[in-house]
Amino acid sequence: MSTTAQSGSAVMSLAPSTHLRRRNLIQLVITRLMASATVISVLVTVGIVLSLLPTTFRLLREITTQVFGTVWAPLFTPSQYGMAPLFTGTFIIVLIAMVIAIPIGLAAAIFLSDYATFNLRRIVKPILEILAGIPTVVLGLFGLYVVNPEFVEKYWPIGEPLAYTALGAGLMTGILIIPIIASVADDALSSVPRAMREAAYALGATRREVATKVVVNAGLSGVVAALILAFARAFGETTIALMVAGSYPKLTANPGDPMQTMASFIGFAGIGDAEVGSSAYNTIFLVGTVLFTVTLILNILGNRFISRFREAYE
Amino acid sequence: MSMISNQSQASKVATSEPKKGSSPMSSATASRKPGEPLKFVDPVFTLKDVAVSYGNFVAVSDVNMQIPSHDITAFIGPSGCGKSTLLRTLNRTNDLIPGAKVHGSLFYHDADLYHPSASAVEVRRRIGMVFQKPNPFPKSIYENIAFGPKVNGRPKKSELDDIVEKSLKSAALWDEVKDRLNESALGLSGGQQQRLCIARSIAVEPEVILMDEPCSALDPIATLRIEELMAELKKQYTIVIVTHNMQQAARVSSYTAFYVTEVNLTSDRRTGKLVEFNETKKMFSTPDDERTEAYVTGKMG
Repeated sequence: MSTTAQSGSAVMSLAPSTHLRRRNLIQLVITRLMASATVISVLVTVGIVLSLLPTTFRLLREITTQVFGTVWAPLFTPSQYGMAPLFTGTFIIVLIAMVIAIPIGLAAAIFLSDYATFNLRRIVKPILEILAGIPTVVLGLFGLYVVNPEFVEKYWPIGEPLAYTALGAGLMTGILIIPIIASVADDALSSVPRAMREAAYALGATRREVATKVVVNAGLSGVVAALILAFARAFGETTIALMVAGSYPKLTANPGDPMQTMASFIGFAGIGDAEVGSSAYNTIFLVGTVLFTVTLILNILGNRFISRFREAYE
Repeated sequence: MSMISNQSQASKVATSEPKKGSSPMSSATASRKPGEPLKFVDPVFTLKDVAVSYGNFVAVSDVNMQIPSHDITAFIGPSGCGKSTLLRTLNRTNDLIPGAKVHGSLFYHDADLYHPSASAVEVRRRIGMVFQKPNPFPKSIYENIAFGPKVNGRPKKSELDDIVEKSLKSAALWDEVKDRLNESALGLSGGQQQRLCIARSIAVEPEVILMDEPCSALDPIATLRIEELMAELKKQYTIVIVTHNMQQAARVSSYTAFYVTEVNLTSDRRTGKLVEFNETKKMFSTPDDERTEAYVTGKMG
């Protein structure tokens, strides 16, 4: 009131000017656009998942307990739907990959966070991230034409390895996920506060004790997140398993044999010539649902660990 | 091996005790001209022409002083005067910063702290440190205390239980946490966490505890408790404390060192210098250097 009083008749107006009204309109439009982009991406994901379910359930109603069988031959007549070979194939290849990648990846992460000089880390870290981006088809080729014939076929002692082996696929999948483990775990370990390291050093701990007993402990949830993300990546890896392990759903525990994983079955069967409603078509949905569910659970777990880690130190 | 040398140290302190007792305030001050450095019987640290640099930057230089045993010595001075840097060189924590280098000679009793054969790990086991912000490990209260003894030996579970109880009692924390030793240390209050960190240092039986502004992250009541604790601890340990709080230095310490940042006008380099090291009583009443007087009376800094 007092400010308007000085000019007497002029009343101060707080209504928006034409210019401001235009700006408000633009703001409204942009907000709506961004909101719909968000909604679309969520809806697409949910839609894909929902589209898997009806076919999956229709097939499950038809085959019921057959999924617990031991022969996976959905593309032949009479079809057999025992998923055990797909589970063992997936399990063995992921296991081999993790056994290779966990020690190497974690050792690399600890080295980068607590031993490497600042400059070395600055050079190595981006290289690791590039490695994580190597096209899997390149790794698959290497597995098929180098690892299988030159290593597995020559040195694997059990059975007679053929051109396709689960061992080769596991090795190459392991190489694929090493940089994931190293990079994510290094991020976690490097963000453990320096005060934590200094506290341990001040108690007379050596560098190794500081790294393994304090830093890894303090960054544990981040490290676990790295392992879960790597596991999910290995679990869903299609190309390497398809190219290196062959497409033979053999129920075996010998890694020198060919195997089929859930992902590589989809890659194998879902190449376009499966007729809608056919048994091949339906099983793709079934395996896809199982694969999706497991991956989803792993991702949720991984993200939960990452956020718990952030809570503690940020 | 560390146990044996520890005992020999203890006996050394014991033999020097009568001498110290016969002349209170130690033999240092008897007939000393102003400006002459304080001398102590069996000092814990002897610094001669000590300078610390990071790359080309000299953080602090020309420090000559001795630090007495079983007493509290405070380092005060404005920000950037190198007092924390100097404190961190006393247990080689500064080694952990790439590019940090110590010049001059720095003796711990009669051993050269920076001699090529001296192990930084062994040095830090004997000279503990409490940091500005409480930094407990994200482990249980018990495991926080047990960490040091575990890396320094392989104590039995029963021995470890004793160490944990004794350390927590020494740090005046036992009564507050004895029923929840297996809970996370991160659930304690700031003041409790800092006393836990002190207990953690005590657990490895050091001779010296360095404290780098241990109360700056705490409220006045928690600060008071830590100060009471320090008065108790000096019976057994030598304490060197860096503090921004002059009243704190006046309250807790027997000796005070005052540092300033000197600016070289030609090169515009800033280097920390020791201005005066004296009995705390004298520092806060009739200091030898007028810069000390200006600082403690609030005219400078």
